[in-house]
Amino acid sequence: MSSTTAEQTTAGAAASPADTDHPIHAAHTPSGTIRLGVFFQGVNSSTAWRAPGAGDQVAWESFERLITTAERGVFSAFFLGEGLRLREHQGVPLEFDVAGRPDAQTLLAALASITRQIGLVATQNTTYNDPVDLARRLQSLDLLSDGRAAWNIVTTDNAWTGENFRRGGYIDHAERYEHAEAFVDVARRIWRGEDVDHQGRHYHVRASGRLPRSRQGEPVLFQAGVSPQGRDFAARTADVIFSPFGDLERAIDFRHDIVERTLAAGRSAESVQIFPGAEFILAATDAEAEDKLRWVREQQVGPQQAIALLEQYWGRDLTAYDPDGPLPDVDPLVAESGVTRGAGFQFEKAQELTRAWREEAAQKGLSILEFARSRQGSRGSSFTGSYDSVAEQLAEYARWGAIDGLNITPWLIPGGLDDIVDELVPRLQERGVYPTEYSGTTLRENLGLPALA
Amino acid sequence: MTTPPVLTVDLPSTPARLGAVRDLARALDAAGLGALSISGDAERGDLHPIHVASHLAPLTRALSLVVRTDAVDVEPFHLATQLMSLDHISGGRAGWLVETRTDDEAAHVVGREALDPEAARRETSDVVTVARLVWDSWSDDAVVRDAETGVYVDAAKLQYVDFEGETFSVRGPSITPRSPQGLLPVLVADADRAAVGDTVAEQLADGRAVDVVLDPDATAQEIAGAVREALGAAGIVGAELDPQAADTAAASAAPSTPRLVRLVGLLGQQDPADDVAQSQRADAGEDAFRPAELASRVADAAAQLRADGLVAPAPSAGNTLREQFGLPRPDVTIDPARRSDRARTAQKETAR
Repeated sequence: MSSTTAEQTTAGAAASPADTDHPIHAAHTPSGTIRLGVFFQGVNSSTAWRAPGAGDQVAWESFERLITTAERGVFSAFFLGEGLRLREHQGVPLEFDVAGRPDAQTLLAALASITRQIGLVATQNTTYNDPVDLARRLQSLDLLSDGRAAWNIVTTDNAWTGENFRRGGYIDHAERYEHAEAFVDVARRIWRGEDVDHQGRHYHVRASGRLPRSRQGEPVLFQAGVSPQGRDFAARTADVIFSPFGDLERAIDFRHDIVERTLAAGRSAESVQIFPGAEFILAATDAEAEDKLRWVREQQVGPQQAIALLEQYWGRDLTAYDPDGPLPDVDPLVAESGVTRGAGFQFEKAQELTRAWREEAAQKGLSILEFARSRQGSRGSSFTGSYDSVAEQLAEYARWGAIDGLNITPWLIPGGLDDIVDELVPRLQERGVYPTEYSGTTLRENLGLPALA
Repeated sequence: MTTPPVLTVDLPSTPARLGAVRDLARALDAAGLGALSISGDAERGDLHPIHVASHLAPLTRALSLVVRTDAVDVEPFHLATQLMSLDHISGGRAGWLVETRTDDEAAHVVGREALDPEAARRETSDVVTVARLVWDSWSDDAVVRDAETGVYVDAAKLQYVDFEGETFSVRGPSITPRSPQGLLPVLVADADRAAVGDTVAEQLADGRAVDVVLDPDATAQEIAGAVREALGAAGIVGAELDPQAADTAAASAAPSTPRLVRLVGLLGQQDPADDVAQSQRADAGEDAFRPAELASRVADAAAQLRADGLVAPAPSAGNTLREQFGLPRPDVTIDPARRSDRARTAQKETAR
């Protein structure tokens, strides 16, 4: 596996990680460790809410079970998503996916009471929050958790989301990172106790940082954008990138690129970590895991979800199509698939994409339902296999230093971490590529990030 | 007969005393106190009060957690979803004491100029109105989880907020399902009465918090005496109260009905200079306030007041704040014009 991957890899990676201390980039030394985080999205099509054992998406008990299981498995972080408007398709909230979740920081402040070491990561938008208010809330979370808070910085220029907020849609797509960078700068100055008088393009804020520093100094910064602008922003600003590149080849390429950008930003190669999103489908044997994968896809995507998925790209009513028949032979109604709001893929070219899908499905002989199931999980990375083979696969990632960890989206809430913690984690520990205990009490320590000056 | 008010201790959310605040919350919960009110002033270096309330929820079982927080210099949508999240996390033990900040400092934080007091009162009233519309934007049965039809959430059981006010607008629906209490109790403390204004205090609120300002060293006897005096002034004289008069009062003036008696000052002064000294004492392990000792003074005072029927009985685990107040849990009415599947309904109308 590693040799073919390396041949396809550009940008100076070694043929095998065993050949060198720096398999991906001369400036980057693998830590030899893979860490795990759990990402509770709360809004998506990956949660199999119809599966037996699927629990309440909002109940405290669900979060309690997830986070205590994660902490038992020495997970580095518990991660919450955020969406500031209910996702819609053609003006109607999406009905087939899980939806509705508690406010991220309010929930994490409570989870801080029942955990001791796991990191608490809140996804928070720079467009529809106020920088000083957000900084103070994150700093409060950091103090309440005694140094375990992190902020996953996301941006949007989405005026549709802005309908829930005072400013409405006030920012252009091109401006969003410039805006985010100024926003983060204000937040950091508040954390450092400075007096801030920020006269930005969109607002003028004056305030002082008055809270004490936490045990880890200030919250850890995660960032999730992977456009060139987003990568540079992360290289200058972030501690951890939440990336979509989980297969080994792309993970190696991404690491190489991020190391280059991080060095260009004047930071050391190890100062920015990479945690791809991931889904785990595990069983005792590879064959059982393949069966389980098919079953999980069936649970995630039913006939209605399959049609709804296509409608999001076609921009038209497709309910007349048979889920067991071929993909619709009509073109999408919109040039840019902007009819689904808040789902994150409105910029893909609908015309091109739907044509490619039709060809792919026809070639493979897939029905609408089969095709939709084959798409599921493709945006993150799916690790399917026996406990041993997935452990071996991750050990290979560790040898390369392609990633620092994986951010797992459980397909089952709240029991979806059980087999990972009970079966996979011990096998990773046996291979020496996973922590056997927390190395400290703060998130910064437990991620192995350098202490702040 | 009207339910007597719930006894409440005000906790300032000073970071230096976090450990002691946790201990105090646990001790007061064990001692059967009705509620904590959590105040925080970011300009003075306090922790965010909603975070502190939420942090205390898993550490306590029966007492309610009432957050005193600003309605004006915030995003109303964020405030509403944060408060309803606290209600989910605490199993229906959340309440909101509305504050109206009119100072420059709070306004400058969010890039605004301070509103004049009248404009701030109007905005407060809009924010309370919007918060309730957000809280009521999901029916209790909106999450249907119908495996047959594949429907997880029924859009016909959600409604937009569609609020257009003088200073902000909110589309909705909420990003959080309806919370255990449906609508969190909205209350106005005496300290905030003037700033909050008549519309909220006399028309929109669910009740009043009678403030009783105390010395940190007040004995149980002194606490009970001060509460008796304050409630007497508010027209509440316990078991001697004429039941008929109480019913009339509750029916005609619900927004100003005393629902909480808020003991303020038991944790000491809260000026910044003192916080520094306090923090140094806390570091040295010699903080003036001792949680167990304070909890037992409050518990003694509560026992005396309960014996006279002046304050509500101790809550049990699982009681919501509304239940402590004797308020029913309100249903949601879906307004056809705001129903969140209206775009689909309109299409069908056109097609016909």
